[in-house]
Amino acid sequence: MPPLGSKLPIYGQDNAAGRPGADGQRRWRSLEELESRRLPAPEFPEGAAEPPEGVSRRSFLQVLGASMALASLEACRPPRHKILPYVRPPEKPLLPGTAVHYATALSLGGHATGLLVTSFDGRPTKVEGNPDHPSSQGGVGSFELASLLDLYDPRRAKGFKKAHDPISHRSLMRELAALAASHQPDGGARLRFLTGATGSPILQDLRRRIQARYPKARFHAYESLAQDQAYQGARLAFGRPMEARHHLSGARVILALDSDFLQHGPEALRLAREFAAHREPGLELNRLYVAEAQLSITGASADHRFRVKPSEVLGFARAVAARLASQHGLAQLAPLGGQTRLARQAQVVADDLARTRGRSLVLAGPRQPAAVHALAHALNAALGNAGQTVDYAPPLRDVAAGPESLRELAADLAAGKVDTLVVTAHDPVYSAPADVDLGAALGKAPTTVYLAYRDDETAPYASWVLAASHPFETWGDARAHDGTVSIVQPLIQPLFESISELELLAGFVDLGDAGAHRLLHEYWRGRSAGGDFEREWEGWLGKGVLPGTATPAEKVSLDVAGIAAAVKAAPPPSQGIEVSFVPDYKALDGRFAENAWLQELPEPITKITWDNAAYLSAATAKELGVENGSRVELRLGGRAVEGATWIVPGHADGVVTLPLGYGRRRAGPVGTGVGFDAGRLRTSQAPWFAAGLAVAPLGRRKHDFALTQEHFSMEGRDIVLAFDVKAWKPEKIEHVKGPVATIQTPVDYQHEQYKWGMAIDLAKCIGCGACTTACQAENNIPVVGKEQVLRSREMHWLRVDRYFEGSPEDPQVLAQPMMCQHCETAPCEYVCPVNATVHSDEGLNEMIYNRCVGTRYCSNNCPYKVRRFNYLDYRGHLSPTEKMAMNPDVTVRTRGVMEKCTYCVQRIERGRIQSRLEGRVMKDGEFTSACAQACPANAIVFGNLNDPRSLVSKAHQDERRYDVLHELGTRPRTAYLVRIRNPNPELT
Amino acid sequence: MSGVIRRVAVEAKDLELLEGTPVLAGRPGDRQLTEDLFQPVWARTRRGWLALFGICAALTGVLFTAIGYTFAVGVGAWGNNIPVAWAFGIINFVWWIGIGHAGTLISAILLLFQQRWRTSINRFAEAMTLFAVMQAGLFPILHLGRPWFAWWLFPYPSTLGIWPQFKSALMWDVFAVSTYFTVSFLFWYVGLLPDLAALRDASKSRAARIAYGIFSLGWRGSAAHWRHWRIAYLLLAGLATPLVLSVHTIVSFDFAISQVPGWHTTIFPPYFVAGAIFSGFAMVLSLMIPARKAFHFEHVITQHHIDNMTKVLLATGLMVSYGYLCEHFMAWYSGNPYEYFVFFNTRLRGPYAPVYWLMLFCNVVVPHVFWWKKARSNMAVVWVAALLVNVGMWTERFNIIVTSLHRDFLPSSWANYKPTIVDWSIYVGTLGFFGFLFLLFLRFVPSVAASEVKELRRELEHEAHAREHAPAQGR
Amino acid sequence: MAYLLAEFKDDQALLAAARRLRELGHHRLDAHSPYPVHGIDEALGLRKSRIPLIALVGGVAGAVGGYVMQWWMNGVDFVINVGNRLPHSPPTNIPITFETGVLLASLSIVLGLFALCGFPRTYHPVFEVEAFRTASVDALWLSAEVSGAEEEPVTRELHQLGALQVSLAEEAR
Repeated sequence: MPPLGSKLPIYGQDNAAGRPGADGQRRWRSLEELESRRLPAPEFPEGAAEPPEGVSRRSFLQVLGASMALASLEACRPPRHKILPYVRPPEKPLLPGTAVHYATALSLGGHATGLLVTSFDGRPTKVEGNPDHPSSQGGVGSFELASLLDLYDPRRAKGFKKAHDPISHRSLMRELAALAASHQPDGGARLRFLTGATGSPILQDLRRRIQARYPKARFHAYESLAQDQAYQGARLAFGRPMEARHHLSGARVILALDSDFLQHGPEALRLAREFAAHREPGLELNRLYVAEAQLSITGASADHRFRVKPSEVLGFARAVAARLASQHGLAQLAPLGGQTRLARQAQVVADDLARTRGRSLVLAGPRQPAAVHALAHALNAALGNAGQTVDYAPPLRDVAAGPESLRELAADLAAGKVDTLVVTAHDPVYSAPADVDLGAALGKAPTTVYLAYRDDETAPYASWVLAASHPFETWGDARAHDGTVSIVQPLIQPLFESISELELLAGFVDLGDAGAHRLLHEYWRGRSAGGDFEREWEGWLGKGVLPGTATPAEKVSLDVAGIAAAVKAAPPPSQGIEVSFVPDYKALDGRFAENAWLQELPEPITKITWDNAAYLSAATAKELGVENGSRVELRLGGRAVEGATWIVPGHADGVVTLPLGYGRRRAGPVGTGVGFDAGRLRTSQAPWFAAGLAVAPLGRRKHDFALTQEHFSMEGRDIVLAFDVKAWKPEKIEHVKGPVATIQTPVDYQHEQYKWGMAIDLAKCIGCGACTTACQAENNIPVVGKEQVLRSREMHWLRVDRYFEGSPEDPQVLAQPMMCQHCETAPCEYVCPVNATVHSDEGLNEMIYNRCVGTRYCSNNCPYKVRRFNYLDYRGHLSPTEKMAMNPDVTVRTRGVMEKCTYCVQRIERGRIQSRLEGRVMKDGEFTSACAQACPANAIVFGNLNDPRSLVSKAHQDERRYDVLHELGTRPRTAYLVRIRNPNPELT
Repeated sequence: MSGVIRRVAVEAKDLELLEGTPVLAGRPGDRQLTEDLFQPVWARTRRGWLALFGICAALTGVLFTAIGYTFAVGVGAWGNNIPVAWAFGIINFVWWIGIGHAGTLISAILLLFQQRWRTSINRFAEAMTLFAVMQAGLFPILHLGRPWFAWWLFPYPSTLGIWPQFKSALMWDVFAVSTYFTVSFLFWYVGLLPDLAALRDASKSRAARIAYGIFSLGWRGSAAHWRHWRIAYLLLAGLATPLVLSVHTIVSFDFAISQVPGWHTTIFPPYFVAGAIFSGFAMVLSLMIPARKAFHFEHVITQHHIDNMTKVLLATGLMVSYGYLCEHFMAWYSGNPYEYFVFFNTRLRGPYAPVYWLMLFCNVVVPHVFWWKKARSNMAVVWVAALLVNVGMWTERFNIIVTSLHRDFLPSSWANYKPTIVDWSIYVGTLGFFGFLFLLFLRFVPSVAASEVKELRRELEHEAHAREHAPAQGR
Repeated sequence: MAYLLAEFKDDQALLAAARRLRELGHHRLDAHSPYPVHGIDEALGLRKSRIPLIALVGGVAGAVGGYVMQWWMNGVDFVINVGNRLPHSPPTNIPITFETGVLLASLSIVLGLFALCGFPRTYHPVFEVEAFRTASVDALWLSAEVSGAEEEPVTRELHQLGALQVSLAEEAR
């Protein structure tokens, strides 16, 4: 056994040899021999102690390759057409065992998020944000991250069925051509399309060509989370639908009117980043006011949160307008003024907004009616924010994607006006409003062609069911919120026989067999400025965005009178219990219900997994005679669903919030029957909130909610430290930093070259949980299911703890990402009898799985309880397809071993290999941990503490830095920066 | 048998003036003694024994079924979770080890202190130790995530080139428990040799003679044998005594060296040892009282023995109570918020508070009944009290392990623990397995050390003789 | 070689007989009793047992071995950073050192006992005498190892010393 530190030769220690590369090689070989003499291949520890040229990884890949071949028809054959990796293609794009990043994009509701997808040997294994993409800027959310799991879902729809008989791709195309031709004579009068909202240029172009061929055919767009009220609001304010584009970088005072802008909507990732960037003292802090009913992620990050019913939001906004008009000389707002029960708060907010004219911002949430959006536009205009913190551009996607157009379609179908309906929208039968019986209507059309990703609620009603390709399997393009275009390039040939929306629609203009790539390529060639298109094209693919395609902002003129009329016409706040529907943080509108990662992701506020609940306030619960887990019947306008209640601190009184997307009937083995379907109460008149909800408790039996955190009080312990910026002084945290007195003289193990550490800025963290999903994807973390979560055996290496402070009515919410702290004097290590968890010479607390016998003593002695144990075989039953999702750099753990955060040691080693090949030292920011990389708020930094210029070193020097459970003397390598709030003195 | 009882009645008087409450009732001849004490071994199998044996065998079956299931699906078959990563497994381990200790103490320490009343109960107690340690030994292996690698805890030259980590209290456990079992076994077996020889010589059937002949290794009771045997036996006793203390001290280190609030306490070693003796004597009593009745050993296991053991119970019970007191005082006095929370919030009012209060009742309140001679001489009372103490000591371990773990430093990770059916079957199963072994012992091995009783009888005679002559000289 | 076995009625008689025979120059004597008889060692002139010495050696060897094992394994052969503690930290080695000491001491005691008493030896000529079976139950026996010539005088001597019965035990053929 060589002495400490020489287990791995470190670069630059003795470069006297002059030829570091060769030198390194030589040393590696000798080490390899030494290693192989000591450790036979099967017991080879993964990652850290492994030579870059390691035999074991090769063979591991071969085995894996074999299983992939088994997986399905030529599972990981690279796409036929040339796709280009991010920035610069390596000489051999498919070097075995090396990761390649490809830029692509994923669209939700017609809005694209630019992604970089890591691909191993033609297998996409990890999703990351594209720093060059305006909507991502490098950050990524749980939905994008988890979409990878959908790709490998073995229960996806496969192949094509016509009237339940499977047909081949060729005959499908023939049949489609025939079908298309049959509608030619009457100009497509009896042809309808039901699509999702799309911003894809090529799809829109295809629609135009289809319209040209079938002048009488009609396209209906439907999104259950449609933005159409926002567009109507803009129409009210500006006379035409416009898209508001917000910029928080310049905003000092932000008023969110029932807007969860940090988590939902096309701008969420970017806004989260811009918002977090101004939460550190020193810089000019921004201040966030939120008026909302349910406690949202945005509300949890607010400096002041006003608990209002959704129907009261308008009143609050009007009160703000009134104050601005009366006190701050914004006379044009006068006709918009009104009353609210929160008069004082409204005044204070108004004063604050007025103080920061041109540097403030009012956002209205898509759940709010047009009047509120219009009013928000008016306020921004009056405050001079328009053009500063918000600008407007004409929308480049379907404007009417709400229930209205769906209703018209249903009517036509019912009236028998439709022969052929082509459905490419996502599972409309499930997500349609309760008052539109789309299922029955579909039955009326002789031919219904459904492009289905899964055999879902809509599939049984369709006569043709065509398996849809995953976005990572197909060519296409997409538009970001600001209009920037990205080319969607496939990472892998379709795992199962399937086609994309593009290919399907092309079938109606006799281009069915052209193939998506040719269509796309020709479309963009047609639009290129000329010159060398191929080079331009490759540039687009490499970068992931088409430069200069963002739509420029347009001047708008405000129609105050129109707004005033709309505002006055708006209904008054409701009495009694109000129901409020919200998109779910995990299932969204149900399209992610079958995704196990998201099902097990703890709901950011309540920490509930594998369920949705009827959220309400303690007062309302008392009034209704329900408690946590009470089973209730929710009745609204003659419709009823059964659900279970959960009391949320800070929830508005007199409101019951119902997250959408659960109670799926045909989601699949994961999502079917999980939670209840709030959509059954949702009508096209009141898609977001409505008065007159009746809640009737059902019996004594309680519903079991599987929570990952059951205790929300900090018991007065110094765990999450938060200060108001005025009260903040570094002296206040002296007791949780610096050395701790000890009788044991700590050994001075020197950490050559690299000393890894992490810092988490609690002032920036919004608690969204993207880091948890990123960690799960990166580290092959198993999903354990509801029963095991109920036994508190969830496996997440990184959890986001949530604490509440202050009154249960109006609590301060504190989020804290918690993972292995890599203590320098780790309590877990000295209690392990078999040396299965020890320290690396770069300060990592390493877990050696193949040495672990599972005494679990380490977990008992870990004060942070961040260790996870494989109580059962959570990995035994993986289908070959699911195995393909595994990150080959990370061991898949067996039953009976302990596991925990490794600081993404596999990424460190990748970086080390690269740096060694280039004979240099790893630079800061060259790589980072999966959580840090995903974090939309940039709250997590990871790096080398030996490098004084690294971000993490600076963070560790920060005056706000402290250690959790510092008094135990564990000397954690993960530092936390205290949370800073910026409340308005007039309200505190 | 009834003859013996009668003799007790007849000679009760003159015995009183010999040695107060008798440690050996009556003056049976050596042959008589041999017959009485070996009676259970020779007598035809009794129906009662068979019935008990059947029950215990069934429970043993349950035990091994549960173990098989655990190995098949993984330790997840138990209720353990994160944060409560240790539960029934370790509770039962500590409980059984503790029970074992009384046996060694009775035979070893009392031998060193020349306590006569030890003679007739030590064999009994040693056997109990042995079988208790066997139960305890199961759990450290069962509770592992990968029990098939349990041998990695022994220092052998592994292909990984790595050795066990001797700073871990679990390693200390490995050595302590294996040493303890070995020494207890040797001590018991060496003590058994003369009686095995006696059995060989006194048995009627040839098979028995051959069998006991083999196990007695050719003991001929020669002066040379006795010379080595006495010193060997004494030395083993001398070694066993500190060993007992060390074993439970080390078991307590499993908790004391960690930093879990409620574990991280310096009082643990003495308080665990006291607890061990406490539960051990309780177990001896709860086993011996029925056995004594069934086999009519009243003349060798007399009121005197019961009385002394109950006094030991009282004393150790008070030590344990002091341990609790000290823990709580330190939790308050140290000003450590985490300790304070565990002792004054979680245990008193937490979800497991009933277990805590039951513990206080059984371990702190119940022993005080032994202040009264009436209670000490009422077998029913003693027996029930002993059983309660056993329950109490089990709940104590539950409190230390589960209650401390489920509310530690970060409230976010707090979670409750619920044992599964497998947990319970394994626990009850070990009780059955213990009884199974113990019944075999009662059936095939003399449960009272005949040779030592004979020696004791000789000594008493000499004393009696001396007293009779003392006054004559005085005149 | 044969043994003369003589039963005596109590330990006094046994001790007296033993002394007398030794005065007469018989040294290959032994006594058999169901329990240790006081004073028999002197009477037969047996030296103190060497078992304590054996135990001491075993114990010391065990303790030293135990400590060295821990020091070498964790402090020398495979040094590794465990929770920033000293690779070789004496306090943590105490428990195992003690245990190994006790273990080896006890083992050497028992093995020593076996060696000195010649265990296991399930056959011995004296077992040939049926009456001798009482030796482990309730009777005290004196055994004298005699050659053919001595047999007759010693028998007479034993009878004079008040032996209840005397019989000759010989290797079974």
